[in-house]
Amino acid sequence: MTFLTRKTLTRRTMLKGMGASVALPLLDSMMPALSAAQRNGAATGSKQAPMRLGFVYAAHGVIHSEWKPRQTGRQYELPPNLQPLEGVRDHFNILTNLSHLEADSKGDGSGDHNRAAGAWLTGVHAYDRTRPGAEIRLATSADQIAAGHLGKDSRVPSIEMTLDPATQGACDSGDCFFVNTVSWRSETSPNMPEIHPRVIFERLFGDGGSADERRARSRKQGSLLDSVLEETRALTATLGRSDTSKVGEYLDSVREVEQRIQHAESSLGESIELPDRPIGIPASFEEYAQLMFDLQLLAFRSDVTRVFSLIMARELSGRSYSQIGVPGNHHLISHHREDAALKSQKARIDTHHMRLLNYFLERMRDTPDGDGSLLDHSAILFGSGMGDGNLHRHNDLPVLLAGKLHGKFQTGYSFDYSRDTPMANLLVTMLDHVGVPIAKLGDSTGQLLLDYERAGAPRAQAL
Amino acid sequence: MARRRLIAGIAFAGLGWGLVIAHSQGFSQNTPDSRAETPAAVTANPPDARAETQAAIAKYCATCHSERLKTAGLVLDPTGVARPGDQSEIWEKVLRQLRAGTMPPPGAPRPPQAFYSRATGYLARELEAGAAARPNPGSTPLAHRLTRTEYANVIRDLLALPDLPKEFDYVTLLPADNASSGFDNLADTLFVSPATMERYLAAALKISRVAVGDPDMGALVNTHITPVRQSQEGRNEALPFGTRGGLQIDGYFPLDADYEFKVETAGAGADVHQLEISIDGARKAITNVSRRPGVPSGDDGVVPNNQGTFRFAVPAGSRSVGVTFVERSEALSEAPLRPPGRNRGALPSVVSVTITGPFKPTGLGDTPSRRRLFVCRPTSADQESACADRILTTLLRRAYRRNVTADDLRRARRFYEAGRAERDFDLGIQRALERVLVSPQFLFRIEQEPAGTAPGSVYRVGDFELASRLSFFLWSSIPDDELLDAAGAGTLRQPQVLRRQVTRMLADPRSRSLVTNFAAQWLFLRDVETKEPDVYLFRDFDESVRAAFVRETDLFLDSILRENRSVLELLTADYTFLNETLAKHYGIPQITGSHFRRVTLPKESPRRGLLGQGSILSITSYSTRTSAVLRGKYVLENLLASAPPPPPADVPSLNTERSGKPLSMKEAMQAHRASPGCAGCHAKMDPIGFALENFDALGRWRAEENGRPLEVTSTLPDGTIIDGVEGVRQLVLRDPVLFVEAMTGKLLMYALTRNIQYYDQPTIRVIARESARQNYTFASLVLGVVNSVPFQSRMAQAAPQ
Repeated sequence: MTFLTRKTLTRRTMLKGMGASVALPLLDSMMPALSAAQRNGAATGSKQAPMRLGFVYAAHGVIHSEWKPRQTGRQYELPPNLQPLEGVRDHFNILTNLSHLEADSKGDGSGDHNRAAGAWLTGVHAYDRTRPGAEIRLATSADQIAAGHLGKDSRVPSIEMTLDPATQGACDSGDCFFVNTVSWRSETSPNMPEIHPRVIFERLFGDGGSADERRARSRKQGSLLDSVLEETRALTATLGRSDTSKVGEYLDSVREVEQRIQHAESSLGESIELPDRPIGIPASFEEYAQLMFDLQLLAFRSDVTRVFSLIMARELSGRSYSQIGVPGNHHLISHHREDAALKSQKARIDTHHMRLLNYFLERMRDTPDGDGSLLDHSAILFGSGMGDGNLHRHNDLPVLLAGKLHGKFQTGYSFDYSRDTPMANLLVTMLDHVGVPIAKLGDSTGQLLLDYERAGAPRAQAL
Repeated sequence: MARRRLIAGIAFAGLGWGLVIAHSQGFSQNTPDSRAETPAAVTANPPDARAETQAAIAKYCATCHSERLKTAGLVLDPTGVARPGDQSEIWEKVLRQLRAGTMPPPGAPRPPQAFYSRATGYLARELEAGAAARPNPGSTPLAHRLTRTEYANVIRDLLALPDLPKEFDYVTLLPADNASSGFDNLADTLFVSPATMERYLAAALKISRVAVGDPDMGALVNTHITPVRQSQEGRNEALPFGTRGGLQIDGYFPLDADYEFKVETAGAGADVHQLEISIDGARKAITNVSRRPGVPSGDDGVVPNNQGTFRFAVPAGSRSVGVTFVERSEALSEAPLRPPGRNRGALPSVVSVTITGPFKPTGLGDTPSRRRLFVCRPTSADQESACADRILTTLLRRAYRRNVTADDLRRARRFYEAGRAERDFDLGIQRALERVLVSPQFLFRIEQEPAGTAPGSVYRVGDFELASRLSFFLWSSIPDDELLDAAGAGTLRQPQVLRRQVTRMLADPRSRSLVTNFAAQWLFLRDVETKEPDVYLFRDFDESVRAAFVRETDLFLDSILRENRSVLELLTADYTFLNETLAKHYGIPQITGSHFRRVTLPKESPRRGLLGQGSILSITSYSTRTSAVLRGKYVLENLLASAPPPPPADVPSLNTERSGKPLSMKEAMQAHRASPGCAGCHAKMDPIGFALENFDALGRWRAEENGRPLEVTSTLPDGTIIDGVEGVRQLVLRDPVLFVEAMTGKLLMYALTRNIQYYDQPTIRVIARESARQNYTFASLVLGVVNSVPFQSRMAQAAPQ
């Protein structure tokens, strides 16, 4: 376990740093390549680099003719959306025809966007909660199940990020929080993702100080939390039989933070240098996305966390992409009504997202980690909770799975599954590969077979 | 002077207290007799009303809504008309449809028009009597986490700390909350996670250091960036006359100390421009900005200039920092030829200002925070312990909004003693404050259920709990000492005491949260901040227009509240607030200068009321064009509480092929609207939006679009003709009580911090009807909510499974 410090002069030297100008330097000025594997070996007692998982969400589905490969196997032709990923094509798989049918209405009225985001990592139907007495109930999401296992040895079990601010005003069927997140700690508690790069930076790397200062602060926080725990337990007792779920959430949170602090304290000592912390949110979407990916890369490299999720475009996002010639509103454009011009705009947005993903995957590939690269030891899932955003369909989802996860996956293939194969099966498989065997997740029916030999036989796909 | 007049204006007279009586009966008298005494709902139903309603329901409704057909999932048993209160979920639905006149659907046989008012009168009376006899206040979680907005207000009031240093302003200090049904304060969506907990811990440390003034806090780096679309051409309204552009900053300086100011400028040309830095209006530094080599800087020697970096002493506290250019006359301005923005043309502009400090503190300063916190000062060591108890008891009572227990004090004192041992008395108080700020009793509003309460029974919340409900409703913050005293004395529930407190609280400046937090969320006004009108289509839009949109509506709503006007004036007022920027935008002549002033609008002005304001008109538009659908939906949902249901789940009519042939976009839209699943709603939404087409996507007036005159007359399914914006106003106020009920529903949701359900409808109707006697003033609606059963009581929760 490594603890990170900021350069001592950070606060003074970063004065001229605008958020926007920080994006690239953040990565370039990273500490000298300490091998994460070596350092982790010391902490975990094993020689092997850790496994890492990432989940990247982009809303509103895709234009299937632009997204889906026409062939299966290794020799498939990269479809237009995926062309930015040409350089890393040997490092990912495309899985076609997976579905989240639990995100369908099932007689539950509107809320297709809520359900798309809700089901993505849970496979569970997000019920319309505007009815009287309806309670918030979904399920622990795959990233959090993984974090419960992989995150045990890292200082921050998981990190949740978003590039889209939470919705204000109207949204899908009353409850907006469903579209603002894809990560659920428990069936009643979503993790709200963070939008601000500086907050993420400080959460991952702390806000500086010498080892002694950190130790002193940890001790103070520890005694603060002890006292708060005592108080909260006493409070829970007075609340008696009544519903204490909110106080329970609070109690669990205090406990978890206390454990983290103890964990960090036990491993204080080694220090590595960090870049300046970012100030604002970069005005350019591209620099913003790159900055967030850079932060995540830094967190993987230094093994501060092993699980992340990032919402690149949340459901109902109205972001305008005028910088690539697509002004207007992403959500509205996704309702293209088969209009050729709108479909082409949606496809350009999706291709652009792949450009940004490519930035991350290339850097993961180029970052040495133990006996391979970070990407070799990770699995990064990219996708959407909708297939056809125009019709709000939750079948035939876009699914891209990058990284070999220590050889658990082979990459470079295009797979085509039978119609309506549960996407949850893939989540079960990923969890199994990182050492969390679970019988069922949401509507899963088993593990997803990635049959490389059969996929190797090229065949044309009906589109 | 203005304040005095406004406060006087709120001292309304003759509020109706019938509501209190009506509702309190719900607790004590569950007999049928109580109906007869209920004011406003009392008028007995004519004997034949029930029979007539039952017959009509049987004749006109029960065929489709039968056990067999179950149209829209609804089964109506006409005999249920006898006791609609027994199935209020169903009959509230029926009442809503009948009041809106939407059922039976167009084309089906309908009862005579006169029947509608008799039947709705009957059903409403019965449902209200049923609700009074068996009140259902609904349920919310017992623990309600403070929202980010509330937390900021609480810190303001608890510690006299209105602003935080930019380095940890609230945007980065705490996570944003989720808005649901428009509001971010709904109790069950206020989640806590370890990530949130970490933020609370960090916030407690930072705030306690700043509030007490920790000499060891180290330098903070506060970078303020000028928004990209903020014009630097004219005077910034917040900055002095004779200046141009720049940035005004509300900064917090935690100690008497030196602070470093670094100004980043862009766009300097060969000309020399003077840049000044002022604190609370007093010039502290001036320099020359130019790209020409050899220009001397710092010409009046206030502070020697060093490459755009200045360092000087600032006394502790909240200060207004101005960084701006001294205006010079321009013989010829090229500005109008360029797109608006931060950086344009030959004039230099301020890009960012970074304030770093404190350095070399000279003192803790006599800050409002220290004055509020340190209610005593020990002059000798043996006084310290007693003084610490006094300080902590005062703090804890405010922070936990109730009387202090021995346990509360014991926990805080432990941290006081550690800090005292580590350094001094002040550090002791600082550590105790830090501890209080992470207590669940601070971070949550917790309501206790009295021991032995039977599940499902209705009980009144405690006096301190009622005080918090009041203060969080009216102030989005903690109760003040006076309110706590009333609760502690057990007198708060006395009608005249409660009324006096509400009146006092409405007159207090903190009730601005009813505008900035309630109304802003009700009307989605926060969306104005995130709108990005297309830069190429709307070249005139910049931050000054955006700020003006916000300010106009803010001042307007504030005037309705402070002057105790009828909320109907939200739509019809003969005045608004304009500055030159906004007047030009609206095409209203002869308004000059950047300050806002009240402007009387002529009778025919399209700008009367909210529907003529740029804020509302822009947030209901897309970045490139207007949307009749969005505007129609907004009016129905926010002003009439008759939101059309969201589009059907599978949007079948967005299918774009017919018999294998692709449809054009227009054909597809026509097909979409023609399909039965979609037509019903669009037929209600779209005509309202079409009638508002005279306003473009930025709310500017236009008579034509693309060279063709605009057709702004449209027809609703029931044949009502809407003619332009005035037609929409008339539609909304056709039955004013419907608008008032819509607003009341939102107010009740905000006050109760939960979604509104069918069982709240009788409460809403009674509040709205009662307020008619007070001419529908804002205050009468607020009082109606405060006096309602759900505001003052809870339903005991069922035992956990």
